[in-house]
Amino acid sequence: MARKILCVAEKPAIARAVATHLSGGSFQTHAIRGNQYVKNYEFEFNFGGSWGQCSVTMTSVIGHLTGLDFASQYKGWMSCPPGALFEAPVQEDVDKDKKPIAENIRNQARYSKALFIWTDCDREGEHIGTEVRNQAKAGNARIEVKRARFSNTERAHVLQAARAPVELDEFQANAVAARIELDLRIGAAFTRLQTLQLQAVAAILKEKVISYGSCQFPTLGFVVDRYFRVQNFKPETFWSIKVMLERERKKVNFLWRRVHLFDRAAVTMMLERCLKAKQAKVTKVTQKPKSKWRPLPLTTVDLQMMGSRFLRIDSQTIMKVAEALYTKGFISYPRTETDQFDKAIDLKKLVETQFPDDRWGQYAKDLIEGKFRTPRSGRNNDKAHPPIHPVCWVSPTSLNDNERKVYEFVVRRFLACCSDDAKGSGTDVEIQYGDEFFHASGLLVLERNYLDVYVYEKWESSQQLPHFERGETFEPTEANISEGKTTAPNYLTEPELIGLMDANGIGTDATMAEHIAKIKDRQYVVVNKRGTGRNKVEELIPTHLGVALVEGYDNVVSGLPSSISLSKPFLRKEMEKQMLEICAGAKTRQDVVQQSLDMYREVFIHTQRRIEMLKAACRKYLVE
Amino acid sequence: MTSAEQIAAQIVSSMSLAVSPSWLNAFLANAQRNIPLSALTKTALFRVLASDIRESLTAGATSVFPVDISDPNVQERRLLGSIPVQVLDIEDIGSSLWSQVEAIERVERGEAIRGREIIRTVNVEGDGEERESGSTNSASTAGHPSASGSNGNGPHRLILQDAKGTNVAAIEMQRIEAISVDKLPIGSKLLLRNLTVARGMILLDSGCCTLLGGKIETLDKTWREGRKARLLQRIDSMANEP
Repeated sequence: MARKILCVAEKPAIARAVATHLSGGSFQTHAIRGNQYVKNYEFEFNFGGSWGQCSVTMTSVIGHLTGLDFASQYKGWMSCPPGALFEAPVQEDVDKDKKPIAENIRNQARYSKALFIWTDCDREGEHIGTEVRNQAKAGNARIEVKRARFSNTERAHVLQAARAPVELDEFQANAVAARIELDLRIGAAFTRLQTLQLQAVAAILKEKVISYGSCQFPTLGFVVDRYFRVQNFKPETFWSIKVMLERERKKVNFLWRRVHLFDRAAVTMMLERCLKAKQAKVTKVTQKPKSKWRPLPLTTVDLQMMGSRFLRIDSQTIMKVAEALYTKGFISYPRTETDQFDKAIDLKKLVETQFPDDRWGQYAKDLIEGKFRTPRSGRNNDKAHPPIHPVCWVSPTSLNDNERKVYEFVVRRFLACCSDDAKGSGTDVEIQYGDEFFHASGLLVLERNYLDVYVYEKWESSQQLPHFERGETFEPTEANISEGKTTAPNYLTEPELIGLMDANGIGTDATMAEHIAKIKDRQYVVVNKRGTGRNKVEELIPTHLGVALVEGYDNVVSGLPSSISLSKPFLRKEMEKQMLEICAGAKTRQDVVQQSLDMYREVFIHTQRRIEMLKAACRKYLVE
Repeated sequence: MTSAEQIAAQIVSSMSLAVSPSWLNAFLANAQRNIPLSALTKTALFRVLASDIRESLTAGATSVFPVDISDPNVQERRLLGSIPVQVLDIEDIGSSLWSQVEAIERVERGEAIRGREIIRTVNVEGDGEERESGSTNSASTAGHPSASGSNGNGPHRLILQDAKGTNVAAIEMQRIEAISVDKLPIGSKLLLRNLTVARGMILLDSGCCTLLGGKIETLDKTWREGRKARLLQRIDSMANEP
């Protein structure tokens, strides 16, 4: 048999990029039958090791090849009680539109000695790898299977990955398989139950599918929770003592250590005791260097949070754009939890690639000429991908609007990581006046360093304080009470929501944006724009339906202390923890599926028994 | 000396509390016989701390408040000697009432125990990475969920009662570790020494205030059960003020 290696990537663009690097640019392109996007690229390559010089066919899939669904007799909405879907048989089939792609892999495998999988190196990619393997084995049962470990499509990195094949990670693939089965069963069971039960409740729900997802609902829960906090908020008056001294023709305002209190009589008494003391005494004067830390290396969650905050692009769009930039080879893989750079990465070389840029090229040169600093290390390492960083320079004219913004952010963030902290000098003065303490502080920014390139953050000098001597006494120019009111929190913004999801284990960094998009899509929440210009904020506000569902499910479990509402993150977090145990090899896929189904089945039974509460909530918000 | 006198003397020397003879006699009448005096003293002290001091202590002229102690017209006065009191109420005047209601509701939902993390939202506000953050952006945190300053660290405003039944407000002027809504039971006994009173409020600091401990079980229970309702009621009545 010919020494042929079949390479399969997750997307056509990656296949093309890898083929270009391995072949040195000369390859033959063949269309495949039945799919216009997937191509086969043929060329020669010397893999070294046991494979050596081989002919190569590089092709790809387009995401997952197969889907999981119930057997046909369970597919109809009325075919079985929704609860039966927790046990109903399921089967994995190649998606109809993916059949030509699967056939291509089977055919190519027939003439190949080995299958070399180039799917993205994350959990999802590992699972897609097993789908590819199944097809290849169906074409050639004796085919050897390897996978490439890579995190960007930069040439040297790809060549290195091609010469160091590893094994597929079965644990990770099993975790994804478990998640797919759980999402299908739990999602379908609750979706059918609530849709069938609620459609009749309100006219606007007629004909509507009210979908349930185990990530969607907690995500919605966060939005509703904040909404109620805003709605229920009650403003209260507080009082504060302000002390001002005029010295060297500057007005120095001293802030009260207690900030403010909610008892007017107490504050009045405290101010009186200050005034009675007449003289204030300087108890502390400190001058110390202050710094504002440069950012940590960029993770996906940070990209989404900072991106939607600074670039004003929603998180799902940011991920799509980042994906495109990665596929074109401009940035590293955008799905990563890692916020520390491996020592092996030549960061200076990456900085050098940015020299040609008009906006930050000079800054990059200055870094290389002595200002370069090793980036800070965060605490997270997913052991799969480095932090998101630019791979090469790209001219802004060859990018579209959003691509330009996201690429610029990735580059500026990277250069900021490789820079020194911003440095300044701060003065703090503390005084005692009567029984009370007050302080004033001044900041002088001395070196901006990373702030020069990381334009998204601000740190500015404040008014400079006049001279104070420790132990000196003075009579303040003014001391009086000021009154204020507490203000309601704001509605949840997308960056805040991502923060909450991340902290509470809802979704992975790769899927959070999808869940947020989904609850908008389902009309459980709407986006409300507030403010203008730089202060423009997009807030997430639940619809009547969104509020009704959350309140309904909360009511279903109210008074059942051991049961957790579907609107809370806890059930999903538990499930996510079990996925990690599969990845670590501590639990099997079957164990996890059974345990998680049991957890959700309990809530399902409560929901069926107390369905009236869910209906009542819908009536309350949608009918009355 | 009778055993009653011996016990009373013991309690004075260890806690500076003057136990009322009639209360002590009633206590001894109900006590079992043949108990050693030291054990009896311990029990008596425990009962005093769990009692209502209006019944259990002698209201001597120097061990109770002047009747006009709450007079707001008096700018400042000093009270020498020691006065035992019991705590009738405690509130955190450093936090808004509403933030306290929200905290109670979180506990009711069992979420405080689960430690629902909101750490990340701080970073979203943008100042998370700043060391020694200056005063420049303290104003920008207005509107943030924690802007109401709910930290549970007070200062606290207490209502204290002496052996004669006079009530007075007290403000925690310096942080006293034992004073917090969660940790200080209603009916706890405090010993106050050499007090300063300003505008009818006792100024509490660790120098003038010793916690003797104890609690009045029934008072504490109803106080805690009714706390949320009282907070809500005060919020409502505030909203109705002009």
